[in-house]
Amino acid sequence: MNIQAKGQESVTYDAIVVGSGVSGGWAAKELSEKGLKVLMIERGRDIKHKEGYDTAMKESYDFPHRGRITEQMKKDYWAGIRTGYTITEATKDLFVKDVDSPYEETQRFDWMRGYHTGGKSLLWGRQTYRWNERDFTANGEEGIGVDWPIRYKDLAPWYSYVEKFAGISGEKRGFDVLPDSEFQPAMELNCVEREIKKGIESNFKGRYLTVGRVAHLTQPTQEQQDLGRTSCQYRNKCIRGCPYGAYFSTQSATLPAAQKTNNLTLINDKIVHEVIFDDEKKKAVGVRTIDKNTKKVEEFYSKIIFINAGAISTAWILMQSKSKTHPNGLGNESNQLGKNIMDHHLGVGARGRWEGFEDKYFYGKRPNGIYVPRFVNWGTDKRDYLRGFGYQGGASRGNKGAGDLIGAELKAQYTQLGGWGFGMTGFGETLPDERNFFTLSENKDQWGLPIINFDAAWRENEMKMREDMGAEAATMLEAAGLKDVSIYNTLSAPGIGIHEMGTARMGRDPKTSVLNGNNQVWGAENVFVTDGACMSSSSCVNPSLTYMALTARAADFAFNELKKQNM
Amino acid sequence: MKRRLALQRVALLVGGAVTAPSLAAILNSCKSPSDSAGSAFTLSSDQKSLLSEISEVIIPKTDTPGAKELNVHEVIEILLKDCYPEEQQTHFMAGLKDLEEESKKLGGGFVSLDKENKLKVLEIMRAKATEESEKNAKAKEAAEQVDSESGSKKVDHMKKDPPTPFFTIVRDLTIFGYYSSEYGVTKEFDYLPIPGRFEGCVTVGPNVKAFS
Repeated sequence: MNIQAKGQESVTYDAIVVGSGVSGGWAAKELSEKGLKVLMIERGRDIKHKEGYDTAMKESYDFPHRGRITEQMKKDYWAGIRTGYTITEATKDLFVKDVDSPYEETQRFDWMRGYHTGGKSLLWGRQTYRWNERDFTANGEEGIGVDWPIRYKDLAPWYSYVEKFAGISGEKRGFDVLPDSEFQPAMELNCVEREIKKGIESNFKGRYLTVGRVAHLTQPTQEQQDLGRTSCQYRNKCIRGCPYGAYFSTQSATLPAAQKTNNLTLINDKIVHEVIFDDEKKKAVGVRTIDKNTKKVEEFYSKIIFINAGAISTAWILMQSKSKTHPNGLGNESNQLGKNIMDHHLGVGARGRWEGFEDKYFYGKRPNGIYVPRFVNWGTDKRDYLRGFGYQGGASRGNKGAGDLIGAELKAQYTQLGGWGFGMTGFGETLPDERNFFTLSENKDQWGLPIINFDAAWRENEMKMREDMGAEAATMLEAAGLKDVSIYNTLSAPGIGIHEMGTARMGRDPKTSVLNGNNQVWGAENVFVTDGACMSSSSCVNPSLTYMALTARAADFAFNELKKQNM
Repeated sequence: MKRRLALQRVALLVGGAVTAPSLAAILNSCKSPSDSAGSAFTLSSDQKSLLSEISEVIIPKTDTPGAKELNVHEVIEILLKDCYPEEQQTHFMAGLKDLEEESKKLGGGFVSLDKENKLKVLEIMRAKATEESEKNAKAKEAAEQVDSESGSKKVDHMKKDPPTPFFTIVRDLTIFGYYSSEYGVTKEFDYLPIPGRFEGCVTVGPNVKAFS
């Protein structure tokens, strides 16, 4: 595409969307469906739906190392390997090669990135939960961070809107702590999970177990079928990309919807590093990019800009967007940009053995587990820390394995069904804290752009909560009849939850926040941020659904303002 | 052992059946990087034959093929070359040599021994591995410093673990190589590549195989 030769007009759009992950995909879909000419800029390579999922149909024996990571991969993906499950021989090409895009750690930060069309929407855990009313009021009530400028009721209709399109499978339970979504049929619990559910719900008032709520189709609507999406096939190879379009991703859902309008242009391999702000017009007029391969610098122009590069990269772009009006970075009068990094702290919970049910198994590989909603600091429950946690986990039984055997006995035993086990791990809310931040290093990457330096840690509230996360899990599992219940508590660094949030928070005052209640950047109101960066608090539930709802809401607002010529 | 348990839990939490290869990848990824990427590790043809014979004792031909027939030693060599640090490779080679020496005490090279003596040699190697592991565990415990303030043990996570004993790794890799092969995945397990549906609670008879 020879853009520059065609002059400025050919690089001018109604809207620019930076990034093509969960929230960028939604912005592109909403804006293009409203009739705007949209340019979506992705810094990484293109991955086509279905045909681009190179390893989706492969088995272990199709890989030279049978799926295992090599010593070379450990060097190339030095941060990626820290999760212990994301990088394998089957998935590595969907993650950033850390040596090519390095970052620095004043304190360890586990930054997982996917630079390609679809971003982390191809790689996410697909667990999908609404926030509750108190998730939006707790900051204000407790004097933590800043008060959210919106409430649950502002987002509720948008939750419904995005859920119907994305397709969420789950069970209606009517919990106030975990509002129901618009559900497609729930996936089934297995035999042991049904027993644990009974055990928990009958022994503990206000504690519940429900099947995980996931962005997988179980009964596709006509709209979803028209996009080429089909029901989940229960292969549990989601992280390689789904050739059935069964889980929500940019490729399976928002991108084809946006492309149907003929209003969307997607360009790849261009790194947006700056929003161009016009001090005369008092608004942003476009973005500056560097080509990943040729390093050529290009500008693109538009009336409105959505920055959806991922929480950390979005703030990194705003930091580099300096002008006379915004000398400290775009919308950064508050000096809060890049601060208040949040994630969910996990790796703590309990597990045990289930005796019996030797004649029970399941059919298929469910890409989902169970969910136990938050019960601490809820209702009459009070603890010596703030906020709370939910549990994710499940029961399973696999093959017996080798034990200590060798020879014919080993073969006779190895693939036989083994015993049942159950485990669940806590996902804890993290408080916004100015001491958790990143800065731009003096060092530059291969494109001459500043490298990110992280300085964040878990703090007192999280550490206190973790004790409870282990102990409460063990108490419930014992009461539910599991044997040999043990607690584990493996502390890792922030980032490990891959739920980074908070680096350009929403608020009510430009002196304490970066964005207003419509996700507009303070002082650059035609720039919107609706990815994890915008979050004022973290809740304890997985955040992607909230990004989707915030994006659809902000896109609607942006379009209406544009119509009123307010942009 | 603790880590292994924790990883089994991770596997559980991922939901559904986790195949041997993915679990192995999880286990493997916890180790720190080393400098042997693209290593020059290679086995001579004698060593290849020897490894093939060892793997056949661990997983022999019965009414289904053994490790030798599936050329499991080939993938073991690739894995040792690319997925392990140099210290592990050196330790493995020393183990092969040691196994040959133990074999000679029973009358000849391992390949030339009868089935009973091959098994005997492997049991000798197993006993050595157990001893080595215990020694390593003791050394690790001695190296752990107790924090004077909290009384808790400080664990240096960046410190490299000593190499895995020969018998342990040759057995692990044989099992992994066999059950991650096409035959292992599609014939030894109940192969279910595209289930198409999920049923949470199904009654099964005895001697049922796990899905792959």
